[in-house]
Amino acid sequence: MNWETAYQAGALALALAGAFALKAAWSKPGPKRPWFIILGWALFLVSAIMAAAMLGPVRGAFIALAIACAAGMSVAVSNYTIRVVKARAGRELALEPSDRKRVAWRGWIRGFLAGPMAGIAAMGVGLFVAICFPGAPQTRMVVGGVLVPFLWAGGMAWTLSDDKIIRAFAVLFGVAFLSLGAAFLKGTLA
Amino acid sequence: MSRKPIWPKIPAAFVRAMLAGHSALGLAFAALIYIVCFSGAVAVFTTEFRRWENPTSPVVHDVTPDVIERTLTQTLAKAPWAHHVFITLPTDDAPLIRVMVQPDHEDKAHKDITWVADAQGNLKQETVDAWSNFQAFLHVRLHLPDAWGGFVVGLTGVALLSSLISGILSHPRVFKDAFSLRLGTNKRLQEADLHNRIGVWGLPFHIIVSLTGAFLGLTTIVVGVLALAVFKGDVNKAYALFTGPHPIDDPRPAPQPDIKNILFDLKSREPHAVPTYIMIEHPGEEGAAIAVSAETRGKLSRGEMHVYDRKAKYLGNWGWEKGTTGQKIYSTLSPLHFGWFGGWPLKVIYGVLGMGLAAVTSSGIAIWLARRRDKGRPAPTWERLWTATVWSQPLAYSLTAICALITRSDNVLLPVWGGASLTILVLALFTPVRILSAGLRVAGSLGLMAVVATHAALWPPMANIDPIVWYMHAVLIGLAIILLWSARASVLAARNPQS
Repeated sequence: MNWETAYQAGALALALAGAFALKAAWSKPGPKRPWFIILGWALFLVSAIMAAAMLGPVRGAFIALAIACAAGMSVAVSNYTIRVVKARAGRELALEPSDRKRVAWRGWIRGFLAGPMAGIAAMGVGLFVAICFPGAPQTRMVVGGVLVPFLWAGGMAWTLSDDKIIRAFAVLFGVAFLSLGAAFLKGTLA
Repeated sequence: MSRKPIWPKIPAAFVRAMLAGHSALGLAFAALIYIVCFSGAVAVFTTEFRRWENPTSPVVHDVTPDVIERTLTQTLAKAPWAHHVFITLPTDDAPLIRVMVQPDHEDKAHKDITWVADAQGNLKQETVDAWSNFQAFLHVRLHLPDAWGGFVVGLTGVALLSSLISGILSHPRVFKDAFSLRLGTNKRLQEADLHNRIGVWGLPFHIIVSLTGAFLGLTTIVVGVLALAVFKGDVNKAYALFTGPHPIDDPRPAPQPDIKNILFDLKSREPHAVPTYIMIEHPGEEGAAIAVSAETRGKLSRGEMHVYDRKAKYLGNWGWEKGTTGQKIYSTLSPLHFGWFGGWPLKVIYGVLGMGLAAVTSSGIAIWLARRRDKGRPAPTWERLWTATVWSQPLAYSLTAICALITRSDNVLLPVWGGASLTILVLALFTPVRILSAGLRVAGSLGLMAVVATHAALWPPMANIDPIVWYMHAVLIGLAIILLWSARASVLAARNPQS
């Protein structure tokens, strides 16, 4: 085992300890519960700080993030219980998706708004950032570029969830019009 | 167990609306998201599969500039027509010297060739990366034409990211159910627990891979639109912002570039950087351009690209480690997406979390199907088709791997994968879902074992075999056992539905 693997193992051990502390808080409500919650998140934080210090600030932080995900998931999965029929009575019923009327044209319009329209609006904002914001051209391009999928995804989630199609259309169209207009008017990366 | 929730109370109408959007998006993109996630989890190990596919390649841990010079000399003697030469230097993940040559795009008489070299720099056998490349391209562009494939995968990443956003907003019990995984009688609640636990605990990872994947996939279209707005449609000007200086093009014949002095110069400039990759454009011309990628330990990047001319004159760098914030961010996206920045332990974590994301997708559709069944509107055909989509992949992947190992060619792999997947989908229409689910898991397990057996038959254990082979075989056998165990569990669950 080289030193990098050893540090990663250490970060994993800390994250696992953090996840177990959070699980203890979750499963045993009582006066110590807030302390277990603080301890759990503190251990996750220490794991991240140690990884960042030993494996590189950015690199170590992202390694710690992946390790934290794996640790939390491992503890959650290891906590499986086999359900017995009696236990079902205590379970709250999950919420159901809202029951929308099934109208074909509304579905197509919603799909158009969530796909191309949200994409154009997101692209517009990305271009606006790349062209109109201050800073080095490469930084503006990358920040604008990373914003595109993020905003597109957000627009998609919102459009598909919003029951009012007109509102979604108005917002997306407005954003696309303003951002693309400003970007093409300036039209230079300088 | 009752307790005061930590998560702010979210109005039920909002949750129901979010669930409707989450459900619609999931249904529209489920198959694509599943294939991209499954193939992505496998693609994390592309380097390891390349070694596994070429098990007799000489393992080399350290090289000197003399060794690389010898490798380049022999390469140009074997391929004087080479227009581009790419030399991959040994790293911890891939202790090999690999040399790829590419002809000019107008030269139809030659094709791309990759060789490996030994520790002295002598060229050895050609490598065959048929399966490694097949599975990587399946993830990166679904084997569609370049720009279209990238766009479809990028759009899938956007849909996945959108599902993550609507999924977390439609989950009012994030903390209350943080460690709850109740398996047993009710299929819908069991799948919901699995979906929510893996989805919530893996959320940071899921956001990172979907955002970076979407960005990488959509790069062509984003840069195209930007170029349209700013550079009158000239995309090369946009890309030029992310590449460094370049020697003036000069096609006059010239001796091979002075690679030895280039490496010595780089060592003196960057004593803490490790060269990992050398790219030589037009190696037989006066205007040859040499770019050496060197990684600084502790940095998350693809490595800085240092540019030289053929006489070892330093021209500058691309800025991937030393440039603007944007260049540095851009350089992190690819390793961050594939998990290629923390050695094998991180790759294992990425592989497991990636399969977890595929499982979240699979359970999302299972919840929708179970909900329909609970409401008296079962969709048995869709249940069978979804089961076939999910469990066909271990078998389809195994069949392509066996074909690649036997034929050492990539010509048949796409038809084999597509044919196997489609055949299973058609068979699913006539097969009860329980039999289909268990049967495909058993078939996938047998397929993985057959892959190991085929490899062992073609390359029996011998002294000079790359040790990665044993690790890969152990993992494949482990996965086969897990699949068999899950098939047994599914049969037991089917026999005893009300236990």
